Amino acid sequence: MGINVGITGLHATDNPAPGIGVIRSLKHPDGWDGEIIGLAYDVMDTGIYDEDLLDHSYMIPYPNTNSQQILERLLYIHDQNRMDVIIPTLDSELALFQKLEPDLKKAGIAIFIPEVDVSKKVSKVYIADFCEENNIDSPTTRIIKEPGELDKSIKEIGFPLMVKGVFYEAFKCRTKVEVLTHFDEMRTKWGYPIILQEVIEAEEYDICCVGDRDGNMLGAVPIRKTRLTDKGKAWAAITLKNDKLYDLSKKILKALKWAGPCELEILQDKKTKKMHLIEINPRFPAWIYLCTGADQNLPKMVVDLALGKKVDPLPVAKSGVTFVRHATDLVCPIEWLEKLTTIGELHY
Amino acid sequence: MSGIFNSEVTISDSGFLFDHGTGLTYSLNETGQFIFTKMKEEVHANKMLELIMEEFDINEETARKDIDDFYRQLKEAGLID
Repeated sequence: MGINVGITGLHATDNPAPGIGVIRSLKHPDGWDGEIIGLAYDVMDTGIYDEDLLDHSYMIPYPNTNSQQILERLLYIHDQNRMDVIIPTLDSELALFQKLEPDLKKAGIAIFIPEVDVSKKVSKVYIADFCEENNIDSPTTRIIKEPGELDKSIKEIGFPLMVKGVFYEAFKCRTKVEVLTHFDEMRTKWGYPIILQEVIEAEEYDICCVGDRDGNMLGAVPIRKTRLTDKGKAWAAITLKNDKLYDLSKKILKALKWAGPCELEILQDKKTKKMHLIEINPRFPAWIYLCTGADQNLPKMVVDLALGKKVDPLPVAKSGVTFVRHATDLVCPIEWLEKLTTIGELHY
Repeated sequence: MSGIFNSEVTISDSGFLFDHGTGLTYSLNETGQFIFTKMKEEVHANKMLELIMEEFDINEETARKDIDDFYRQLKEAGLID
């Protein structure tokens, strides 16, 4: 009997969610022995119109909805199409799935994600403290919880600086007027706290890693983004072989005893060559299929980990593998939209 | 680390150089390719000078300038220290 996997994050526009890359990895190279079940938040989540990727799609309530309602919906789906594993792929889902994990487990649905206290340590608000405690370089950061703290923090950091929302978005600011503008935008959009961070003249690297919860790094693929969209998202990238990045990733995952996938954002200072940890995203990156192309199929690894199988660390990923994102059109019958809109499910 | 280079560096027959540590790529001309290949073979500087003069049929001054220029560009690119 094959393993059925439910996957979220299926909206792939110019700021794509990772779900599609996760599915392509599971199906690489010869298809997946089991069903792939798409869990979509919106009828226009683009990936649910790709019948080559999915066996079934179901609409689910947004992560900020009452968790009991989401659980009931997931259990309904599980009843219709058994889900052995769910791979959540969005930042905003982590807290929800952490909360639902015991109930899902009871129902026979496995997930492999970090514990609440672990993910909290590396949230944008606490990551600077984590770095300090573990002797990991990071840019000077101030967490602003009320407007009164802004002036002092600007003076301490100096210009240019980054203004970051607690969940999404970051803007580079060169003047106080710019800071105030983006600060207000963030406050309205995401609320407090708002993060101010030193800008380092640096090369940016990203690493997709998987941790086994015992402090071991089982896979890691470092990349350099070679083309960015206007939102700063990778449109092309290349895999690297870089011992410093590899060792730093290992150190971070060990310190956290991280469970499951994550994406580390690292800046290497152009002058000092120091590696600064900027962010840890608690999920696969949208470019996850590149890892598969570099001989590390990390989504398959996460399915095995979720199912409690013994997983050995993978050999070092192949360097010099590149990807270029390519937008295409999916043509589909109106009945698909109708079914997703009216009954909230689609079976291809 | 790979010899005198700061990370693993490979070059194709067409002179397309890839730095595996940073992901940066460069296109080398014929002289650059020749010097790079000799550097990878860890050929001594004096011998390198001799080989370049012979390969490209140029005088010592031009050969020395070519080598110096190439090393300077490698340093600027962070490929060597």
